[in-house]
Amino acid sequence: MIRHPLAWCAWATAALAVAFIDRNPYLQALLLLVVINVFLPYRGAPRLGSWKFGLALALVPVLFSAALSRFGQHLLFTLPPIPIIGGRWTLDAVAFGASTGLALLLTVAVFGVLQTTVRSADLVAILPRPLYRAGTTVALALAFAPKTVAAFVSIQEARRLRGQRTGWRSAPDLLLPLLLTTLERALQYGESLDARGFGSGRRSRYRPFGWTIPDVLLLLASLTSIVALVWWPALSYNPYVNLAPNVPGPQSLLTIALLALPAVTGSLARLDHAHHHV
Amino acid sequence: MPIITFDAVTYRYPEADRPALNGITTMVEPGEVILVRGASGSGKSTLLRCLNGLVPHSTGGHFRGRVVVCGLDTRAHPPRQLGTHVGFVFQHPDAQFVLEDVEAELAFGLENLGLARPLMRKRIEEVIDQVGINPLRRRRIDTLSGGERQRVAIAAALAMHPDALVLDEPTSQLDPQAAEDVLQVVLRLVAELGMTTVIAEHRVERIAPFVDRIWTLEAGALRDQPPRTALAEGGARPPVVDLALRAGWTPIPLGLRDARVHAQRLPGGRANPAPVDGQGPILCRVDGLDHRYQGVPAVQGVSLILRRAQVTALMGRNGSGKTTLLKLIAGLLRPQRGTVTHDAAAAYVPQDADSLLFAPTVGDELVGQSAAVVAPFRTWLHRYPRDLSSGERQQLAIALMGARADLLLLDEPTRGLDPSVKRALSAYLRTRAGAGASILVATHDVEWAARSADRVLLMADGEIYADGPPGAVLSDSLVFATQISKLVGGGWLLAEEVPL
Repeated sequence: MIRHPLAWCAWATAALAVAFIDRNPYLQALLLLVVINVFLPYRGAPRLGSWKFGLALALVPVLFSAALSRFGQHLLFTLPPIPIIGGRWTLDAVAFGASTGLALLLTVAVFGVLQTTVRSADLVAILPRPLYRAGTTVALALAFAPKTVAAFVSIQEARRLRGQRTGWRSAPDLLLPLLLTTLERALQYGESLDARGFGSGRRSRYRPFGWTIPDVLLLLASLTSIVALVWWPALSYNPYVNLAPNVPGPQSLLTIALLALPAVTGSLARLDHAHHHV
Repeated sequence: MPIITFDAVTYRYPEADRPALNGITTMVEPGEVILVRGASGSGKSTLLRCLNGLVPHSTGGHFRGRVVVCGLDTRAHPPRQLGTHVGFVFQHPDAQFVLEDVEAELAFGLENLGLARPLMRKRIEEVIDQVGINPLRRRRIDTLSGGERQRVAIAAALAMHPDALVLDEPTSQLDPQAAEDVLQVVLRLVAELGMTTVIAEHRVERIAPFVDRIWTLEAGALRDQPPRTALAEGGARPPVVDLALRAGWTPIPLGLRDARVHAQRLPGGRANPAPVDGQGPILCRVDGLDHRYQGVPAVQGVSLILRRAQVTALMGRNGSGKTTLLKLIAGLLRPQRGTVTHDAAAAYVPQDADSLLFAPTVGDELVGQSAAVVAPFRTWLHRYPRDLSSGERQQLAIALMGARADLLLLDEPTRGLDPSVKRALSAYLRTRAGAGASILVATHDVEWAARSADRVLLMADGEIYADGPPGAVLSDSLVFATQISKLVGGGWLLAEEVPL
C-alpha cells in the first residue's frame, strides 16, 4: 500500500491537472473511473457524504450554464422572454456546464481520496521545520470546519425552537452567535496547544516517513503524468466550437493510466491480505 | 517541600468589577490529592488555570501574589514551559485535540518537547497501559465516545511525565458509565503512581474517599480543610455524608465501604413507594412511535401517556433513544410510524443551552416575555448571556422556552450543574408542574431524578422497559441506583427518607 503523504500529494496534483487543463469529457470520465478505483481499496468505513456533495456540486454548473448561456448552434428549446431564463436553451451550454461540473466532481473525488489516505498529522509531520507552525494551524483549521458546521446547524435549530426565522434572510442573525461560538472554541484550542508545549522549541517526530518502492513509483508516475500533460498538450474541449469532443490520443490515455497505479498496488495488497487469511 | 504553592494570590479578569480569586494562600505536598469544589462561577476553573500559567498568560487581567509549581514561578514561565510539570485535562473532551488519531495525539506534546523517538515510543506505550487505552490507539478521535476522549486526554497529559495532574471537571459532560470509567483511571493513577492530583469534580461521592484535602471556593475565597470537616460543613457532598450527619455516625464515612459498618445498625424496614398519580388530566399521548436514522432504529414501538402536574425522568445509557423521543414528542422529528398528540404547546430545551441564547443582553433575550417570566432575572438584565454561569444560562434558556408551554421537554438540564443550581432547577420544575404543566426530563443524574421526579422511565435500544415511581424503578436497579439505595437497600433512595 502507498503511505507517503508526498506521494499522495503528487498524485492529487497530477489528477487535478488532468481534470482541469484538458476538460475532454472522454478523459474526464476515464479519470473519474480511475479515481473511484483508487478510492475503493483504500476506503475504511464507507463514507458517501463527500460523493453526494460532489454530485450535487456537479449539477450546479450544468443548471447555471443551461439557464444563463444563450450561445451555441444546437437548440434544445426556446422559452418566452422571462427575465434571466427566457430565450434559447442550447445543448452546447449544457455540455459546457457538464464539463465544468465533471471537473468539480473530480476535485471533490480527488480530495475524498486524499482525506482517506493522508492524515493531517502526517502532512504536518513532513512539513519543513519553518513551516511547522503554519501547518499545524492549517490542520487545526481543517479539523475545525466540521465543528463549525455542526455549531451552525445547532444555532439554526435553536432559532427554529424559539420560533424565529432560519432562512437565508436570517443569515446575519445566525452569523453573530456562530462567530462567538467559534471564537470561544478557538480560545479553548489555543489554551490546549499552550498547555501541551506547542512552540516551545525544536520539535522532534514520532513516526518519520520512509519511502517504500510503491511510494517512489507513485511519485515518479505522477511527475511523469504532469510532464506528459505539459509536453503533449491536447486540444482543449470547447463545446461552443465543436460539440463532439476529440478522440483522445495514446499519450493522453497513458497520462491517465499512470494515475491508476495506487488502484493496482492497493488491490494487490488487499489480495495478498485476503490470501494470508484463507 | 511543597510541589504547589499559592502565595496571597488575587486575580481579576480584564474588565471584571470583582476578583475571581481573592487572597488565596495554600500549598500542596507531593502525592496529595486535592478536591476543588464550589458553585458555578466560584472560581474553580480560574484557580486550576493558575497552576499551568494559563492565568494570567492566556487570559490577561490583573494578577497579584504568586503561584510556584515545582519551583517555577508561573508569572515568569509561560504555559508551554509549565506543560512538562503540570498535565492539564479540560472540561470539554472536544476542545483539547489537535490531530485526528489517538497515537498522533499522544505523541503531539512529546514532539513539542523535542524528545528522541525511542523515548517517545516508550512513554506512549507506558501511558497506553496505565490508562488502559490500547484498543483505542489506532482509532480516529472523532469516532471515540466522550469518556474515551477524556481517557485519551488524560493519557496525553500523562505522557509528558508531569509532576502533577490537574483535571477541570473532567466528567461534567459525560454520562454516568463514561464518568465512572474516567474516574477509575484517575483513581488508579492516584493509587498506583502516587500522582499529585488537583481535581474539580461534581461527583463528590466517587472521589471523596480518596482525597487528602478539600478546597472549597466561595466567591473567589478558598477554605482548605480535611475532607470530613469540609463535607460536614456543607456544599456538594456524598449522600452517605448526609445520612451520617443525620444518624450521628462518627467518624463521618466518606464512601460506601466505610458507611456499611454503620448502616448495619439501622433499623431496616422497607420503603413504600407512592404509586404514580394516574388521575391527572392527560396532556400528551404517544402511541406506537417508531423512528430510524438511516435504517438504524432509534425509537421502537414507544407508547406513553404524560399527565399534567407530573415531572417524569427519562433515563437510559447514551444512544438509548432519549433525545430522539423528546424531539419526536416536540414535533422536531416526524415519526416514521405512530402518533403524538398533545393538548398544549410543547417546548424542547436542548442539551446545549448556549445555542438558544444569542442576544447581546439578558434583557434583549427576554423582550416580549411576561413580567412573571422576567422577574427572576431582573438583576441580570444588562448582562451578556454567555457571561452567565452554566447554571444561570440553563435557567434562562428553560424560562425562555418554557414560558408559554405546558409540556416541557428538557434534554440533560442538570449536566455540569452544581448541587445548589440543581436544587433551584428542581424547585422551578415543581412549581411549573404544580401550575399544571407536564415535564419530561431526559437525564443521567440518578440522585436528581430520585429527588425531583414523580415518575421514572428507563429506556434502552429505543424501547421503554421500566415505568413507575422512582422508589420502585430506581431501588431495584444496579446501574440506576442512588448511593443510599446501594447502601441500605429496602427501596430507600434519599438520605432524609431512611428511618433511624
